Amino acid sequence: MEFQVPSLNLLIVLPVLIVTGWGMLLMLAEFFIPEEKKSWAPWLTMLGLVLALIQTIGLWGYNGGTFTPKGGAPMVVVDNFATFLNIIFLLTGILTVLISIHYLRRTGLDRPEYYMLLLFSVSGMMLMGMANDLILVFLALELLSIPLYILSGFAWPRPDSEESAMKYFLLGAFSSSIFVFGIALTYGSTGTTSLPLVLERISDAGMLGLVATAMLIVGFAFKVAAAPFHMWTPDVYEGAPTTVTAFMSVGAKVGGFAAMLRVFVAALPQLGEAWVPAVAGVATLTLIVGNVVAIVQPNIKRMLAYSSIAHAGYIMIAVAASVNSPDGVSAALFYMLAYLFTNLGAFAVVIALEHKQGEGVMLDDYKGLGKRRPWLALAMAYFMLSLTGVPPTGGFSGKFYVFRAAIEADLLWLAIVGVITSVISGYYYLRVVYLMYMYDGEGEVVANRALVWTVGLTALATLVLGLLPGPWFDMARDAALQTVQMVAGG
Amino acid sequence: MVEQIVFILVSLFTLITAVVVVTNRNLFHAALALMASFLGVAGLYVLLDAGFLAAAQLLVYIGAISILIIFAIMLTRRLMHALESPFNSQWGLGAFTAVVAFAVMAGVIAQFWPVTPDSVTPLASRPEVSASILRGSVAELGRALVSSDAYVIPFEIASVLLLAALIGAIVVAWPKAEDE
Amino acid sequence: MDNQLLITYLPIAVLLGIALFLAVLLPVLSLSLGPKRPTFRKLSPYESGMTPIGEAQRRLPVKFYRIAVLFILFDVDIILLVPWAVSFRRLGLYGLAAMLVFMFIFILGDAWVWKKGVLEWD
Repeated sequence: MEFQVPSLNLLIVLPVLIVTGWGMLLMLAEFFIPEEKKSWAPWLTMLGLVLALIQTIGLWGYNGGTFTPKGGAPMVVVDNFATFLNIIFLLTGILTVLISIHYLRRTGLDRPEYYMLLLFSVSGMMLMGMANDLILVFLALELLSIPLYILSGFAWPRPDSEESAMKYFLLGAFSSSIFVFGIALTYGSTGTTSLPLVLERISDAGMLGLVATAMLIVGFAFKVAAAPFHMWTPDVYEGAPTTVTAFMSVGAKVGGFAAMLRVFVAALPQLGEAWVPAVAGVATLTLIVGNVVAIVQPNIKRMLAYSSIAHAGYIMIAVAASVNSPDGVSAALFYMLAYLFTNLGAFAVVIALEHKQGEGVMLDDYKGLGKRRPWLALAMAYFMLSLTGVPPTGGFSGKFYVFRAAIEADLLWLAIVGVITSVISGYYYLRVVYLMYMYDGEGEVVANRALVWTVGLTALATLVLGLLPGPWFDMARDAALQTVQMVAGG
Repeated sequence: MVEQIVFILVSLFTLITAVVVVTNRNLFHAALALMASFLGVAGLYVLLDAGFLAAAQLLVYIGAISILIIFAIMLTRRLMHALESPFNSQWGLGAFTAVVAFAVMAGVIAQFWPVTPDSVTPLASRPEVSASILRGSVAELGRALVSSDAYVIPFEIASVLLLAALIGAIVVAWPKAEDE
Repeated sequence: MDNQLLITYLPIAVLLGIALFLAVLLPVLSLSLGPKRPTFRKLSPYESGMTPIGEAQRRLPVKFYRIAVLFILFDVDIILLVPWAVSFRRLGLYGLAAMLVFMFIFILGDAWVWKKGVLEWD
C-alpha cells in the first residue's frame, strides 16, 4: 500500500475550513458547555469569523488554486476576486452576529443552532466565490441555501415565519433544479464542468450551450431575487426573523452574484452576445419592478425586500457590462461592498425598532424617531440616502461606478434606466426620513451596545466609501483584474 | 431493437405514473404513484448502463424519500382521505410554461437527429471522458470520489451539506419548550 | 446495440415480473374464488361493542418524521460509502483519509443528534 502525498494546498482554503470547522466546533461545544450558559455561542461564532477574516486578508494578492484534476484546472481558486468576496461574506457574518445577539434573546430564539447554520451558510457563500467548477458551484449554492431555508423558519410556530421558510424552500429547490439542469446541459455540450475548460469549448456547443446559459441565468436570477424571478422575496423577507432577513439580503445576494460573475465572465464570455442582452433585460425589469412596487409598501421589511430586488438590478447592470468593460466586475464588487454596509446598517436600525417580534416594523412606527433617538434617526436617514444614491455616500459611489461601466460597455440606455429608477427610489427611501423628522410618534426602541456599535460602524464605513471611494475601488479593480486575466489566459 | 422496446415501455410507465402524480385527487395515492414513477426512472438509469445510480435511486428515492413524503401526509390531519382538486387558478399558465419548455428542449435535441455513429452526441466526441467513466463502474466512481485529482472536495462538501441538513431537520421538527 | 446490457439485468426484470404477477394474482384469486355471504352485521365495523367515534387514522406523532429524516441522511451517507468500499485497497491510505474526514463529519452529526436526545423515543 503506497501513500501518495496529494498535491493539495490547504493553506489557501484555510478561511473556508475555519468557518466550516467552527460550525462543527459549535456542535462539539454543546457536549461540554451546560445549557444554562447560552451566551457563549455568539461570541464563539464571532471569534471563528474574525480568525477567518484575518486569514483571508492575509491571502490578499495570492493567486492560485488547488484540488486540480488530471489535465484540468483547479476546482477551487483563490484569487483577489475570491478574497475580496470572502471579506464581504465574513463581514456580513460578523455584523449579523452582532445584530443577532440581543434580538434572539428578546424573541426567544436564542439557540446555538442558529449560529451553526449561520456559519455553514457563510462557508457556502465563500465557496461560491472560490468555485471554479460547476459541480462545486452547485454544492456551494446548496450549502448557502439550505441553512437559510431553516433560518427563515427559525421563529416557528409563528405562521409568517413558517410561510417564509416554506416559500423560500419550495422556490429555492425549484430554481436549484433549473440550475442543475443548466449544469447538465453545459456538461452535455462541452463534456466538462470545469469553468476554464467550458470557456475553451463553449463556442462550438451550439444551441445546447445557449439553452444551458439561459437556465444558468434563471437559476442565478432566482437566488439574487431579480425580476421576474423575485416573487418569493417580499414574503420571505417579511416572515423571516429580521436578523435572518438582513443576513440573506446581503449574503445570499452577493453569493449568487459571486458565482454568477465567475461563471459568466470567466467561462461564458464568448456567448456574451447572447447573454448580455438577456441580463440587461432582466436588470431593466428588476429595476422597474423593485423600485415601483416598493413605493406602496407599508411594512419596512417588505419595503427593504423590494429595495433589495432593485439593488440586484443595479448589480445586474454591472454584470451585463462586465464583458465589454474592464471595470464591470470591479464596479459590481464595489457596489456589493457598499451595499453590505448600507443594507446591514439599515436592518440594524429596523431591529432596534422591532421591540417585539413582528411589532414595530411598519413605516408608521418610524414617526418621530428623529426626536426620540436623534443619532439612530440620523444613521437611518444616512442609510436611506445611501440606498437612494445621494452623495456623499457609499451607495452613490457604487452607482457611479456601475453606470460608468455600463456606459463604457455601450449600454448607455441601461445606465439611463438605472438613473431614472434611482430617482423613483428616492420617493420611498426619503419618505422614511420624512416620517422620522416631520411627525411625532412614540414607540419603544431597543438598542443595546452591540447594535449601536453595528449602526455606527456601518454608517462610518458607508461614509468612508462615499468620501474616499478611490482606494477601495482600486482594490476592487485589483480583485477584478484576476478574473479577466484568467479569461485571457484560458 | 429489444432495447428500444424496453425503453419505450419503461418511459411510458414513468410518464403515465408521473401524470397520475399531478392529476390524482387523493394526495396519498399521488405519493404512491410517485414511488412508481421513481421506479421507472431507476429503469431508465439501468438502460443507460448506470447500475449504481439505479440502485441509489431505489434506495434513496423509493426507500427513503417516498417514505418521508408518506409520513408527511400522515402527519397532517385529514390529508389521508381528503380529495383536493389538483388544479388551481394558475394551471393554464403552468401548462403553457411546461409546453414552451418542452418545445425548446425538443427543438434543441432534434438537432442531433438522425443519430448516426458519425453524429454521436457531443459528449462522446470529447476525448477526455474515459471509457471507464462512461461505463459507470462503481470502482471508478469510488476513485473519483476520494481522489484529490478528482472530486474529493465536492465529496467532503457534500458531507458538510448533509450535516447542515441534519441540524435543519432537528430544528424544524423539534418540539418547542411550550409544547412539551 | 448491445443486448448484453439487457441480459445482465434480465434476472431482476424476471423477479419484478414474478413479484408483480403474484401481487396481482393472489388478491384477484381470493376475491373471485372466495365465498361471499355478506350480512348487515358482517358489514358493520364491529360485530359487537360501540360504534366507532371519529376516524381510525390518527395523526402521526412528529417523532416519526424526525426518524425518517435521519434515515434519509444515513441512507445517502451509506450510498456514498459503497463506491469507496468496493475498491478501498486500490485507493490506499489517501482514500482512507478522505473517507475518514467524511465519516468524521457524519459521526459528529450523529453524536450531536444523540446528545440532543433525538433518538430517545419517549
